[in-house]
Amino acid sequence: MTQELGVEDQAPQLVPLNAIFATDFVQILVPVTTANTMREVAAAVAHHVEGRRVRALPYDKVVIHEGRRLPPDMTVAAAGIQPLDHVTVEYDIPEGS
Amino acid sequence: MALLKREEWQGFVRDVDWTYTYVDDDAVFPEWHSGTGKVPREAWSAWEEDYKVSYPEYVAVQRDKEASAYAVKAALQRSSTFEHLDEGWKSATKMHFGGVALVEYAAVLAELKMARFGLNGAWRNMATFGQLDELRHAQITTFFGHEFVGKDAQYDWTQKAFHTNDWVLISLRNLFDNMMIAPNVVDMAIELPFTFETGFTNLQFVALASDALESGDVNFANMISSIQTDEARHSQQGGPTLEILVEHDPVRAQWVVDKAFWGSARAFAALTGPAMDYYTPLEHRKQSYREFMEEWVIDQFVRTIEDYGLRKPWFWDEFMRGLDIWHHGLQMGLWYWRPTLWWRPKAGVSQDERAWLAEKYPNWEKVYGDKWDVLIDNVNANNVEATLPETLPWLCMTCHLPCCNATQSRDGTWRVRDWPLRYDGKTFHFCTNACRQIFWKDRDNVNHETLVDRFLAGQIQPMDVGGILGYMGMTPDAMGDDPDYEAWTRDYVGRPADGIALGAQS
Repeated sequence: MTQELGVEDQAPQLVPLNAIFATDFVQILVPVTTANTMREVAAAVAHHVEGRRVRALPYDKVVIHEGRRLPPDMTVAAAGIQPLDHVTVEYDIPEGS
Repeated sequence: MALLKREEWQGFVRDVDWTYTYVDDDAVFPEWHSGTGKVPREAWSAWEEDYKVSYPEYVAVQRDKEASAYAVKAALQRSSTFEHLDEGWKSATKMHFGGVALVEYAAVLAELKMARFGLNGAWRNMATFGQLDELRHAQITTFFGHEFVGKDAQYDWTQKAFHTNDWVLISLRNLFDNMMIAPNVVDMAIELPFTFETGFTNLQFVALASDALESGDVNFANMISSIQTDEARHSQQGGPTLEILVEHDPVRAQWVVDKAFWGSARAFAALTGPAMDYYTPLEHRKQSYREFMEEWVIDQFVRTIEDYGLRKPWFWDEFMRGLDIWHHGLQMGLWYWRPTLWWRPKAGVSQDERAWLAEKYPNWEKVYGDKWDVLIDNVNANNVEATLPETLPWLCMTCHLPCCNATQSRDGTWRVRDWPLRYDGKTFHFCTNACRQIFWKDRDNVNHETLVDRFLAGQIQPMDVGGILGYMGMTPDAMGDDPDYEAWTRDYVGRPADGIALGAQS
C-alpha cells in the first residue's frame, strides 16, 4: 500500500502552486510534482517571469514556503508543500553585494 | 372634461398597497426574496422616493430620449468619425460594450425582482420603470456596438462577451450575480441602486461621456448620456430603502454597503482605471483615475453614507492605498494576458506617458517602472514572444481578478503578498485582505469557480494556452494584441539591456 512507502518512493504527484517570483507584479499558477527539487521549482517559477518582466540577476534562487527557506536539493514531497500552497522564489543575493 | 391635476390622482397610481385577505402577507412577500429581516413589516410604509413619476410622463420622456439618441447615431453613421478615433479610445469602448451590454440585462432581472417583491407599492412602481430603463440600456448598448461589427470583429463581443467564460466576464458575472440576481430586494436596493449606481456608475457615466467628447466620439457620448439620465432616476430606490434599514438594523446596512462598495471598487479598478490612465491619449486626459475617484466617488460616497448614519467601511485604509496600486497592476496584467481580451490594450508607457504617471502616482516608477522596462527591452530586442503568457495569473476567489496588488514593506520595498485561507479542506487565495474577509463572511453565497479552479479541475482541455483561449471563446479575429508596439518602445531603442529573456539575446 502506498501509505507505507516513504514520500520519496511514491510516484510523482502533480502539485499546482500559487507562486510569485521576486519583485514580479502578480501571483501565477505553476504546476510542479512531488519529485521536483526546490532548484527545479525555482526554475519553473522563474521560467514565466525572469527576463520577461523581472530583470535576470546572476544569483542562485531560493524557494520560500511558509517562512522557511528550503534547501535546493529538497523535494516538494519532503518539504511538505501541498497542492495550492503559496511559494515565493527570491534571488539569494549575498549580503553586501 | 377637464383633466385632474397631477397631485389629485398621483396617490391612486402610486400607493397601491392593500391588506391581503386570501393569503398571508409573507406568502406574497417571502423573506428570502423580500428580506425585511429585523425591520418591522409596517416600517416599509414610510418608503418614499425623492421625486415621483407617472407612467404617461415616463413614456413621453423616454420617447424623446430614444428619438434624440437614434437621430444623432443616424447622422454620425454617414460621417467618417469612427475611422479617425484613436485605438486606445476605441478599445475603451469595446471593453465597455462587452462588459456592460448584458450586465444591463442582468439589471432588468434585478429591477423586476424589486418590482415584484419590494415592500412598498411606490418602490415597486419605481422598479417597474427601472426594469424598462435597464431593458432600454441593454438594447441601446448592444445596438450601438453592433454598428461596428462589420468594421472590427472585436465589437462582436458586445453581445458575445457575457455568454463566454472569458476571465474578465467570470469576474463580472460573479460580482453582478451577487449584486443583481442572488440578494433579497432590500440588500439589492442598497447594493445596486444605492452603492453601485449612485456611488459609481452615475458619476462614471458623466466622466465617460466627457472623455468620449474629448476623444471625438460624439456617438458614444450621446449613448452614455442618454443612459445616465435614466440611472439618475431609478437609482433613487436605494436611499429610502437604506434609510429604513439603518433605523432598524444598522449592522446589516453597514455590511451590505461595505461589501458592495468593495466589489464595485475592484471592478472599476480593472475596467475604468486602465481606460483613464493608459488607453486615453495623453493629450485628452483631464484627470487621473485616482483624482477621478477622489473627486467623484470617494468624497460624495463618504458624505452620503455619513448622512445616513453609517461609517466608512472597515477596509477604508486598504482601499485608499489601493488607489495608487490596483489599476496599475491590473493594467500590466491585462496587457500581458492580452490574447484573452476582446480589445487592443495600449501599454501606454512611452517616456511622456511615464512622466505623467510618475507625476500622478509618485511611487509608479518604483513599483512598475522596472517591469515595464524589461518588457520594453524584450520588444526592442524583437522578442515579443517573451512578453506573452504561458500560464494563468492566479485569480482571487472573491473578485476573480489577478492577485496583483503590491504593498509596501517597512523597509520600503514593494511586494505582492499572499492572502490565503484554509477552509473546507482547500486553500483559497485572495488579492487583498478585504476580499478574503468578504469571502469568509459570504462563503455560503454565490461564489463562481475561478478560471484557475476550472483549469485544475480538468474542465479546460487541452490544458494549454490554446485550450484556455478556446474555453474562453476567444477566436483569432477578436484576440487582443497591442495596437502599436512602436508607440511606447521607440523612446528606449538602443539603450543597454541586460537580463532579458534568453531568446532575445541569442
